[in-house]
Amino acid sequence: MADVSHEDSVDNAVGTATATQSPSTQALSRVEPAQSETSLFSGESVLNILKLIFAGAPLPDVLTIIARLVEAEGKGMFCTIWLLDEDGSYVRCATAPSLPGFTANWDRTPVGPTGACCGTAVYRREPVYVTDVLSDPLWDGYRHLVLPYGIRAVWAQPLLSSEGKVLGTFSILYREARGPSTADLQMIENASHIVGIALERHMKEKELRRSEAFLAEGQRLSRTGSFSWRVATGEITWSEELYRIFEFDRDVPVTLELIGSRVHPEDIPLLNDMIDRARDNGSDFEYEHRLQMSNHSVKYLHMVGHGRRDGDGRLVYIGAAQDVTERRLSEETLGRVRSELAHVARVTSLGALTASIAHEVSQPLSGIITNACTCLRMLAADPPNVDGARETARRTIRDGDRASEVITRLRALFSKKEGTIESVDLNEATREVIALSLSELQRNRVILRTELASDLPVVTGDRVQLQQVILNLLRNASEALSAVDDRPRKLLISTERDEGDRVRLTVQDAGIGFDPQAAERLFEAFYTTKNEGMGMGLSISRSIIERHHGRLWAAANDGPGAMFSFSIPRGPEGVTGARSLGNIRTPAAEDSGRAMGDPC
Amino acid sequence: MLTGRSIVSVVDDDESVRESLPDLLWELGFAAHAFSSAEEFLASDYVDKTRCLVLDIAMPGMTGPDLQRELKLRRKEIPIVFITAHRDETVRPRVLEQGAVECLFKPFSERALVEALNAALRVS
Repeated sequence: MADVSHEDSVDNAVGTATATQSPSTQALSRVEPAQSETSLFSGESVLNILKLIFAGAPLPDVLTIIARLVEAEGKGMFCTIWLLDEDGSYVRCATAPSLPGFTANWDRTPVGPTGACCGTAVYRREPVYVTDVLSDPLWDGYRHLVLPYGIRAVWAQPLLSSEGKVLGTFSILYREARGPSTADLQMIENASHIVGIALERHMKEKELRRSEAFLAEGQRLSRTGSFSWRVATGEITWSEELYRIFEFDRDVPVTLELIGSRVHPEDIPLLNDMIDRARDNGSDFEYEHRLQMSNHSVKYLHMVGHGRRDGDGRLVYIGAAQDVTERRLSEETLGRVRSELAHVARVTSLGALTASIAHEVSQPLSGIITNACTCLRMLAADPPNVDGARETARRTIRDGDRASEVITRLRALFSKKEGTIESVDLNEATREVIALSLSELQRNRVILRTELASDLPVVTGDRVQLQQVILNLLRNASEALSAVDDRPRKLLISTERDEGDRVRLTVQDAGIGFDPQAAERLFEAFYTTKNEGMGMGLSISRSIIERHHGRLWAAANDGPGAMFSFSIPRGPEGVTGARSLGNIRTPAAEDSGRAMGDPC
Repeated sequence: MLTGRSIVSVVDDDESVRESLPDLLWELGFAAHAFSSAEEFLASDYVDKTRCLVLDIAMPGMTGPDLQRELKLRRKEIPIVFITAHRDETVRPRVLEQGAVECLFKPFSERALVEALNAALRVS
């Protein structure tokens, strides 16, 4: 931590306070005892010292000023103030303004039963009045430190905090052997009290600085900054870490414009959306967006904001922003690997499936061709071998049957997974799909909005299949948005009641859209507008929705982008049995039976 | 009366091949005999009589390439024409490297079969 240690601050400042005064001390020099008639106990002096203390003047300066004021109270009186070390084993002289070289010669005294006056007063927690250091055994071993100044009497008063903790001593020294008068005791009592206030204030500030330093350290370690934002005035306060994350100078006043200058150009719509929404309804927000630094490197920022009203009903956001660049980068790598893996898995399973179908069909085909060739030869013989030809024709038919059995088996295989009919809350099903797709949507910088009708009735159907449809529509929309750079990548998912006791779900994007003339072709198998993809998604999605006795359609938006909706009846009578639901047409099963050319 | 015909042995676990191929081979002028496994063929006296072996690659138990190796060990140099329904392009060069005359993918044409058999008989 940057904080200087207790001892250092005291020692350094004692040296400087006497020689060169700090600015704050000079500014308040009117506290100094210009005239001897100025009494420490005059209301004005006390008030000025208190002002000095609460203005945050350095402790050693304050102590020196108090000591001087006390010294001005009586002729031949010297004042020293001693502070207890943090570990409580020594007292150190913080100031002795009228005894040159005193603090340098006598820097510390151990706390104990025989520690001159200061060490003993702290030890006993009570005042120690030594009328003559020459004879008092408490001063054995210490006399040489005060005799050069001609000091004979020393009175030490322990300084106590409001909690009763000993903080040090306030000491009066005289060049004559004497004890304190009642007036002296009163003066010592009052002065100690003021010194106590200064010390306590100093300790509280130190405590505060320490806790602030902890907080700053925590923010730096977790790369999290905090902020507040008064929406009406635009006043923004940042923690130090936030300045560091944004790489802005601490002196620069933070404005939305300044923040905008660091936000990645592609994410500006995200920021604007966040600001608009915050201004509109004061709701909490959570966003992730990128920063583009001056060296063109990119940072990822995760931001949460909590809106609340102050006493006057004005909206104030308190929030935190975390630099999640490292995590985001590793997630992206992971995501890429995962999607590559998924692609490989899809391709390999498709390859394996094709090989298996090819093998199953090739066997009987081979028999058919061999038999047919034999048959032709037998018929062409002279005389024709009609019995043999009949036998080979019979085998040809049998192999043909076998091939067709393979196809039937394949169909059965594809429709093996029977649909499960249950009550489905389409809103909940949608939320699950969104949760699954969130990282992909965020990666594509999609601004997702949901408008899920709260009064949506449950539907009867196959939850997983309906979710496949929703996922497919969501992915299509997200992919259609990924090419958009000149406007916000907005995506809206909404659910609503539809006419005729039906429920409708709509996915609307501001993406590249489609040619209106191709609206129906979209649903054909193998039709695709994407570079990647088989063009199967919408075809299968429509089959699923039709099995639910619903309808899936596409429409162009008024503005840019497309809108896909499905509408399904909610009643159970709308759906046929589980068997027919499970029997979704799959193109693979339909296309596997294509005939081959005659190889003979 | 049948002495002129070269003996071709067919080894395939697929029954329709065992049924149909010998008839076609007969029509093509060969004397054919079918076996349902490599083990069955090895146990028969056709090992010494066979002029050409039409051999399936994937079979339960001993596979076609296993039989190819076994025959090599026994120094029976029978020309082999492999047939397979697995269109695995890496298989063909592998078996050809091991000395097979040809490797046909099912379904194969009559012409491809005849050419392969002729090549095999030229070898032997």
